[in-house]
Amino acid sequence: VPPLRGQNPADIVAAMQAFRSGERPSTVMGRIAKGFSDEEIRAIAAWVAEQR
Amino acid sequence: VIGTTRRAFLTGAATAAAFSPKLSLGQARPRIVVIGGGFGGATCARVLRGADRQFEVTLVEPNPTFTACPFSNVVIAGLRDIAGQRFGYDAIRAEDIAVAHDEATAVDPQAGRVSLRGGSTLDYDRLVLAPGIAIRWDALPGYNEAAAVAMPHAWLAGDQTLLLQRQLEAMADGGTVVISAPANPFRCPPGPYERASLIAYYLKKAKPRSKLIILDAKDNFSKQRLFQNAWQQLYPNLIEWVSLSNGGKVISVDAKTRTLVTDFATYKADVANVIPPQRAAGIAQLAGVTDATGWCPIDPVTFESRLQPKVHVVGDAAIAGAMPKSAFAANAEAKACAVAVAALLHGEMPSPPKLINTCYSLVAPDYGISIAGVYHPAGGQFAEVEGAGGVSPIDAPADFRALEAAYADAWFRTITAETYG
Repeated sequence: VPPLRGQNPADIVAAMQAFRSGERPSTVMGRIAKGFSDEEIRAIAAWVAEQR
Repeated sequence: VIGTTRRAFLTGAATAAAFSPKLSLGQARPRIVVIGGGFGGATCARVLRGADRQFEVTLVEPNPTFTACPFSNVVIAGLRDIAGQRFGYDAIRAEDIAVAHDEATAVDPQAGRVSLRGGSTLDYDRLVLAPGIAIRWDALPGYNEAAAVAMPHAWLAGDQTLLLQRQLEAMADGGTVVISAPANPFRCPPGPYERASLIAYYLKKAKPRSKLIILDAKDNFSKQRLFQNAWQQLYPNLIEWVSLSNGGKVISVDAKTRTLVTDFATYKADVANVIPPQRAAGIAQLAGVTDATGWCPIDPVTFESRLQPKVHVVGDAAIAGAMPKSAFAANAEAKACAVAVAALLHGEMPSPPKLINTCYSLVAPDYGISIAGVYHPAGGQFAEVEGAGGVSPIDAPADFRALEAAYADAWFRTITAETYG
């Protein structure tokens, strides 16, 4: 599993949206992603991408 | 020792304030005291330190090492060394957080002052309480601190964990293990059932003629279908669950004979694990932040007590609405609380947080199940975000269960590294 920090924010947004729709299979991420709006997902991605 | 540390901080304050990006020249460094060095308190102290270098952060925790409850059921089943549960405070201390290994004995919210057993006092601008739970020794007739040696609760990790593990190890094959589970709310809602599962795993391997009875003060419990489904599959006829409606509520115990009494029957155990009713730990009561339930009502945006100003409460001690009393929740609440406290000290308005919880349980070393939730403040309390969260699928294949067991392990390594590493 690659570390999340420093990843491209667009990739994180795409992954979260795919978890949320169920397009990308998961154990727990789908259940969690369903609790967040597109705007919140973009904010999460921007923050994670900034972490080093 | 604390006095010296704090004086050293204060000496540097005047110089440091001149370079502060957040505070104007001449303003005193805000003092924040955090009581409790578990997943909530230790996390909160670290996030506060990261939020503003000018904050003077003191963490008060009597124990020199922390013993984690998550995964302690694996220790009880003899599958894990307790050393893997223990964490120190060196990394936290190295971050310029003053760690006072002392016990808080009083809080004066009017004066903004904490008294310590060692005789010193700590003044604060904001206080965060993350004291965890205390056992209610008055709640179950026959169950007191002496009885907890014969019938361990093992609900505060450490010596009690090892005591229960050794009693199981010493039990003869064909013995009866009885677990008494409390009514809600209590620390770690799926915990008693994970414990039953892992003890069953041990019994099946080492003492296959034995049985395990869960006497429950509830009619339903966390991840119930998943647990019961797994028990049928992995431990058929080994675990018996007696619900409240079927007379499962334990009304008294006798430690001398290891007997548990319900309204309808008397159970003689070879090993008895009594998980008693709980409340917020003592300092919360002394600080005047507990209500009649024994827990602490809070504002879900700031985590400030509804009973005392400038005192915030996170973790198991808090009444956090739909959020469970878990390490994951305590860690999430602590981060949101730290950000809110920083905002308040900067004269800003804290924003409502959106928090996550995930609780993994092992029903066997390679069989994990989970419950997740997303929470936001609504109507003055944390409510679940609708359409999100839920439990693992009931019909998942073995590789899914194995993956969740691996994720449980990864979660523990991640949260302990973030909190103590």
